[in-house]
Amino acid sequence: MTTIMMTKAAHKTDVIIIGAGPCGLFAVFELGLLGLSTHLIDILDKPGGQCAELYPEKPIYDIPAWPVISGQDLTDRLMEQIAPFSPVFHFGELAESLIKTPDNLWRITTDAGTTIEAPAIVIAAGGGSFMPKKPPLDGIEAYENESVFYAVRKIESFRGKRVVIAGGGDSALDWTLNLQAVAERVSLVHHRDGFRAAPHSVARMKQMAADGLIDFVIGKLDNLVGEAPALSGVAVTGADGQKVLPADRFLCFFGLTMKLGPIAEFGLNFSENLIPVDTEKFETSVPGIFAIGDINRYPGKLKLILSGFHEAALMSQAAFQICRPGERLRFQYTTSSTQLQQRLKVA
Amino acid sequence: MAFAVTEACIRCKYTDCVEVCPVDCFYEGENMLVIHPDECIDCGVCEPECPAEAIIADTAPDAARWLELNAKYALLWPNIADKKDPPADADAFSGQPNKFEQHFSPEPAKESV
Repeated sequence: MTTIMMTKAAHKTDVIIIGAGPCGLFAVFELGLLGLSTHLIDILDKPGGQCAELYPEKPIYDIPAWPVISGQDLTDRLMEQIAPFSPVFHFGELAESLIKTPDNLWRITTDAGTTIEAPAIVIAAGGGSFMPKKPPLDGIEAYENESVFYAVRKIESFRGKRVVIAGGGDSALDWTLNLQAVAERVSLVHHRDGFRAAPHSVARMKQMAADGLIDFVIGKLDNLVGEAPALSGVAVTGADGQKVLPADRFLCFFGLTMKLGPIAEFGLNFSENLIPVDTEKFETSVPGIFAIGDINRYPGKLKLILSGFHEAALMSQAAFQICRPGERLRFQYTTSSTQLQQRLKVA
Repeated sequence: MAFAVTEACIRCKYTDCVEVCPVDCFYEGENMLVIHPDECIDCGVCEPECPAEAIIADTAPDAARWLELNAKYALLWPNIADKKDPPADADAFSGQPNKFEQHFSPEPAKESV
């Protein structure tokens, strides 16, 4: 019998950017002006990083020429600004490993099996990867990805299931409302009768509970019931004592936490979870790997978006030398250079 | 740039903030929590969570005193990353004035029971 190795062909690009927050996005622009193509990898399912995930509506006052702009608007503007360079996004994926190929390229493989090869890497990972916070329930790992989930990838996989949802934010509320129609039964568990969610969603959830369409339980999660990875229920203690909510699926939305993740194993020097770089190229201890934005460290570093933009510009000059060895880089202004304007698709 | 916990937390310790903090920057004393100002990323998620309204931005009036206290004790107290039950009498202390003078303890949190 012949064994067929299923390997997806690797994407090829000039620069792979890990992190699609504001600095990663602006790096696309600066690299693009120099004629370099980019792929971006981000664990979130959308661009913007912390700006989009943590404070989409919070006003930012220190972006040059924007007296005030929200995190989401800044993200949207950056996406508009980099559109001419057609960056390729790999959302919902975690950069898992980094190796050097025999032909001297860097190869990144993601947790989804995507492989990308490039002469240069930019780490713009901010505070690290957003990972779901897990409830402190014994042995929960044994159920994960079989009956316990921290996100909904496919609504269909919950059809006809008894689903217990835990959490008090928008994600918990939204999925309670959305899964109610397909699941056999949805029970929402929160430790108090207060939510950090859109008031409209809270009102709808309570109406559904009043109508008997879902169960809303105020209580504390005790443990999971059933032989892992199969789940039969979730034990909860409420005002009237402990009970077991029957469940085939448990969805937990306790917010996100940022963890450095696999990039800590990429062989770079780290100092207090930050990557030391020089201030000429913003290059790490490994030639060809750069770090910009909140994740880097150098004397005088300020964790500001505007600093990350500056770092992206200087990094791009150095990345060009790696991607186009021997070619001369001519410094040009967007106001007057026809070549830059063509790349920007305005000329 | 950071948020800080004020005396309004003292003897309440609801820990709702801990549950939502994306960077786990809360530290636990015997009867209040503090935020490590260098670890806080200023996201503001915790501020509206606190039932005792104990969390303020560093731009708030009177913030300096609490920032200083947070910075000092974040280095001395253990990190708290998971929500836990508040003290049984927490509600009785919620909203009381002058809790710092009357009830502040510089001791770290006791080992969880």
